[in-house]
Amino acid sequence: MKPATRYTLPLLTALLLAGNAALAGENATAIKTDSLRDRPFSDAKTVATLNAGSPVEILKREGGWYQIKSAQGSGWIRMLSLRKGDAGKPAAGASASSLASLASGRAGTGKVVSTTGIRGLNEEELKAAHFDEKQVSLAESYQVSRAEAQKFAASAKLKPAKLDYLP
Amino acid sequence: MNQHIIKGLTLLALTTGLATAQAFDLGQELRNAAKELQQPGGGSLGGYSEQEEVAIGRQIAGNLLGAAPLVKDAKLQKYVNTVGRWVATQSERPDLAWHFGVIESNDINAFAAPGGYIFVTRGLYRQLTSESELAGVLAHEIGHVIKKHHLKILQQSRMVDLGGKLLAKQTGGNDNIGKLIGSGAEIVSRSLDKGAEFEADRIGVVLAARAGYDAYGLPSVLEKIGHTSAQDDSVALLFKTHPHPDERLSKLGDAMDSRFDGLNGQTAEKRLYRVK
Repeated sequence: MKPATRYTLPLLTALLLAGNAALAGENATAIKTDSLRDRPFSDAKTVATLNAGSPVEILKREGGWYQIKSAQGSGWIRMLSLRKGDAGKPAAGASASSLASLASGRAGTGKVVSTTGIRGLNEEELKAAHFDEKQVSLAESYQVSRAEAQKFAASAKLKPAKLDYLP
Repeated sequence: MNQHIIKGLTLLALTTGLATAQAFDLGQELRNAAKELQQPGGGSLGGYSEQEEVAIGRQIAGNLLGAAPLVKDAKLQKYVNTVGRWVATQSERPDLAWHFGVIESNDINAFAAPGGYIFVTRGLYRQLTSESELAGVLAHEIGHVIKKHHLKILQQSRMVDLGGKLLAKQTGGNDNIGKLIGSGAEIVSRSLDKGAEFEADRIGVVLAARAGYDAYGLPSVLEKIGHTSAQDDSVALLFKTHPHPDERLSKLGDAMDSRFDGLNGQTAEKRLYRVK
């Protein structure tokens, strides 16, 4: 039994690093009626129609598409036709809020109880903020020129696309 | 009219840093500025020079950084500037002196100030899983800058109208702007109208896609934020000042439709710089 625990940490790390794979098994709900297709393209063959409100399980994402499993079948559906989570249930994380407020050094009243470490930003804090010349100069020192940005894009093989603004 | 302006300015002066006003006759400056507004052409909204816009934005950025300084990680800051500048290059203001930064706050939020000063909190940065998501978030803020959303708010409240006049009159007059918009970085905590947020979302996905990124970076981040409980402190300000992510996603879904199919933009998960 004991040797098994040795693999727990690497396994956890691998899961965390897997990124997109972490989607697998995530529940979602169709927020509008849309076609389920056999490939992630709008002109791909329709395999089923998913009605608004249908529960699905997300397998993976590709561009603007999710590969899903549902009672109506498996296939690809537009990412924005789904809403993650079980419909009607409150979003996860509510129970973590008290912990989060502790971590941010804030009491339930919204007052800052500790000035050490990192904390949140609320309106009062923003209002009371004083100009910091050193910080703004530092921020400006990291400026990247247009030419540098273009060089980065070329090396990263980021190809500019021609696209009009959305109406 | 005259009375109205001066009354407004007095109120403003009271609510702003009176403690710092000693070395500066604020009252006199404001009276002068108010007088100038009476001149033909004075006080007209809009038409700020880029120099004025940048001076205003710099003041707001400095105030914001006074509340939440930059994360001490030069590589991170340079990385964010590189991605941000490349995305901003796809906009109609490619040659603005764009500045980007990650600031020390666990809140999940991002801020834009006029003139191209854009900041993302460490809390939001930590939520990101790909460079395309970073590009999407920065592109939304770039959208606010190119549409001058915050500048319009300031102009409506006349504060900057006077600030601009003062700046134009004196060199090194940034102090004066500071005294006029001096309530810290309050401006970044103000809600824009919903339409402005939806507009920045629509601009954001387009700029990211133009830059060669997967257009769904911004929607992915909105999905994640939408999952954060509204009771969670880290999203309190964001939820107060923005429409709910679900509403933004619905609007984006309708606007994007099939327009981004077949673009094959990069998500670049591996290239995302990880914060310690």
